[in-house]
Amino acid sequence: MAQYIFHKADSRGHDHHDWLDSRKTFSFGDYYNPRRMGFGALRVLNDDTLPAGKGFGLHPHDNMEIISIPLKGSLKHEDSAGNKAIAATGTIQVMHAGSGLFHSEYNNSEDEEAAFLQIWVYPETLNTPPRYTLGTLQQDATRNRLHAFIAPDNADGTYVRKDVWFSTGHFDHGTSFTYPVHQQGNGVYAFVIDGRFSVDGKELSARDGLGISETAAIEVKALSDDARLLLMEVPMNIHQ
Amino acid sequence: MDHNIPLKLLAIGYDPAIMQVVERLLNSHAGWEGVIALTGAEGLEKISTGNYDAILLCVGVSVADEGTFREAVNTHHSSTIVIRHYGGGSGLLENELRAALDHNK
Repeated sequence: MAQYIFHKADSRGHDHHDWLDSRKTFSFGDYYNPRRMGFGALRVLNDDTLPAGKGFGLHPHDNMEIISIPLKGSLKHEDSAGNKAIAATGTIQVMHAGSGLFHSEYNNSEDEEAAFLQIWVYPETLNTPPRYTLGTLQQDATRNRLHAFIAPDNADGTYVRKDVWFSTGHFDHGTSFTYPVHQQGNGVYAFVIDGRFSVDGKELSARDGLGISETAAIEVKALSDDARLLLMEVPMNIHQ
Repeated sequence: MDHNIPLKLLAIGYDPAIMQVVERLLNSHAGWEGVIALTGAEGLEKISTGNYDAILLCVGVSVADEGTFREAVNTHHSSTIVIRHYGGGSGLLENELRAALDHNK
């Protein structure tokens, strides 16, 4: 029987600084909730807003898959592997920290705020070489259908491990679909970016999250227009 | 565990630049005292001669090395908590430790 864990948007941890406003679904930084240490291999889901010109200064990471999904504006990325990129709305940034690197992420605008989802997934193997990929999310690929922008076989390199799929789509009110879980033992974390959805009969509003495990398929229906959903399929056992 | 005395922490990792950040973060936390080891040999030496509440296995430490460190901890100080630190001095550091300490209460 499917298992569910529901995280309402306003139950998330909240940090506000002059350089960052962050809503955290799972424990991170100063926000600690022992019942919210992640969902399987999904460890971090931060909903971050950066004021104009502000951001994360140079700092290190290792052994984590870090996915950034810009929702508003753009991020200026630089890292110690020599990568420099602008991750704008409509792109997906995937940073495999592996054996270690330093990076910075700033709002690329001096006039307007930027917003993005910062998502971390435990790595499949430790201490492998760092890798950076900036993928593109085609608008027409996500209109009333799911687009797997992270998948093991993605040709543009936007993959994180062999058992992780991230999908998103924009849906009109009433559009429904079934999401088949790709791999036995995986769970799916559904996060509503905009609008409202019914996921396996449970109603979710913007920035609500629902973790679903021990199931082979998930039933989804958009309950509003311009509704945008993110589905993150991850192994529930992080050390496979 | 008496929380009136500092929590003594050893972080073992092989990337000096990242480990400097880990050390700084550990020692910037009230009630924590952190030291680092930058090689496997230094880690084993510190495990055998020091007395730590928790040991963090950080950047570069392989699964095989982890087994060696855990075995050394079991030999010398079986009550010491050993955890894998992911992320490199990241926002996970504090709550990884707090979760491990809560689990061992």
